[in-house]
Amino acid sequence: MRFLAIILPVWFLCLASAHGAAGGDHALPLNAQPLHDFLPITNSIVMVWIAVGLIVLFCRAATGKMSLVPVGLQNFAEWAVESLYSFLENLMGPHLTKRTFWFFGTIFFFILTSNYLGLIPGVGTVGWNLKDSAGQAAGFLPILRGGNADINMTAAMAFTFALLWIYWAVTEIGFGGLAKHIFAPKGSFNGIMLAMMVPIFLFVGVLEIISIAIRPVALSFRLFGNIYGGEQTLEKLMALVPEWLAFLPALPFYFMELLVGFVQALVFTLLCAIFLKLICDHGDEHH
Amino acid sequence: MFSFLAAATQPNALETIKDTFGLHGAFFAAQAINFFLVIFVLKKFAFGPIQAILEQRRTRIVEGEEKLKRIEKQLADSEATTAAAIAKANEDALRLVAEAREGAAAFSEQKSQEAIAQAQQILAKAEAAGNADRERISTELKREFGRLIAATTSQVTGKVLTLEDQQRINEEALSKVGN
Repeated sequence: MRFLAIILPVWFLCLASAHGAAGGDHALPLNAQPLHDFLPITNSIVMVWIAVGLIVLFCRAATGKMSLVPVGLQNFAEWAVESLYSFLENLMGPHLTKRTFWFFGTIFFFILTSNYLGLIPGVGTVGWNLKDSAGQAAGFLPILRGGNADINMTAAMAFTFALLWIYWAVTEIGFGGLAKHIFAPKGSFNGIMLAMMVPIFLFVGVLEIISIAIRPVALSFRLFGNIYGGEQTLEKLMALVPEWLAFLPALPFYFMELLVGFVQALVFTLLCAIFLKLICDHGDEHH
Repeated sequence: MFSFLAAATQPNALETIKDTFGLHGAFFAAQAINFFLVIFVLKKFAFGPIQAILEQRRTRIVEGEEKLKRIEKQLADSEATTAAAIAKANEDALRLVAEAREGAAAFSEQKSQEAIAQAQQILAKAEAAGNADRERISTELKREFGRLIAATTSQVTGKVLTLEDQQRINEEALSKVGN
């Protein structure tokens, strides 16, 4: 409470004095920028490589010498994996979870790692100002950029899920089951009622196809928007005050971003799991 | 919503979105490869080993539970066997004690009877010996008394008594004295 009592007034003072400070800030660009003219390497790709490297190091440290009585990092890794597995098992059932955990586990832990790495001071803020051929300012190029603050990354994950989603659905319920899930009337209709309902459900099926097609796009932009928005918020807040005080207004939002980083990882994973569960539900009824 | 749909259906809408958000084929492919790399790493080095060890531990716990149940059953059986053995031993011990008591009582009775018999024999022998001694002493007394009578008679009468006289006097005297 004492901490909040100190931070909040200072933060509001910073906000009040922010009007005068505007203009000197640099906004994080909406798109990831290439660091090299010829290689397809952007600042967010570098960040993803760092995330991959950290994940490899953690995995090797945690699972290098596995023992039946877990200690240290192995204990933590087991807790994290088992907790997520149980969570997904409650949601999707044992069969689907056993089959798909490698994907959902990767999605969750990778998004979480990437989101938290994006909060490290310097990510998105350390870089250089660009100039055009006339020597005029042409934007800012940060060396590092949060992995999920790049639509290419979030889209890569979402469309990978979309492909796997269709594959899992077909292998679980078959093409017929999938078509039935999309077009078949929900409920039991007979005679003239059935004849009337068929065109309606055909139309609903078309809407369902559009909905399925849009979901990976929505997944991509939801994650991108939240993470990019969070980083942008932090940068804008830091630009509201003199540089020597820049850390202060952003500080409360760092805690919120820690929460957002976790929640967004969970939301992405949860939505993918629910989509899969919904489409495979008919298969479970038949099996 | 309709304006969005209208914008989305414009021929250059996708290009606009791509340009605005920096959606780029090469970058998308690079990020997809990175993502597959993460999947490979996590599956091989994290989920695989961790799930294997969790399964191993689960199996060991199940086996341990089964062993525990088996041990508990064995313990219960063993306790029952022990209790039965103790009960049987108690029964045997009680029977042995009872037999020992009976044996001791019989032995004691036998010894008592023997002691009584011996005592009776001793008493009989003592009585016989006493009777014999009394008879002998009585005979000696009678003989001495007869001799004293004969001597007294001889001295009073001044006559030498013959054996027949002595015998007659003895008999008369003894008949008056009695047994």
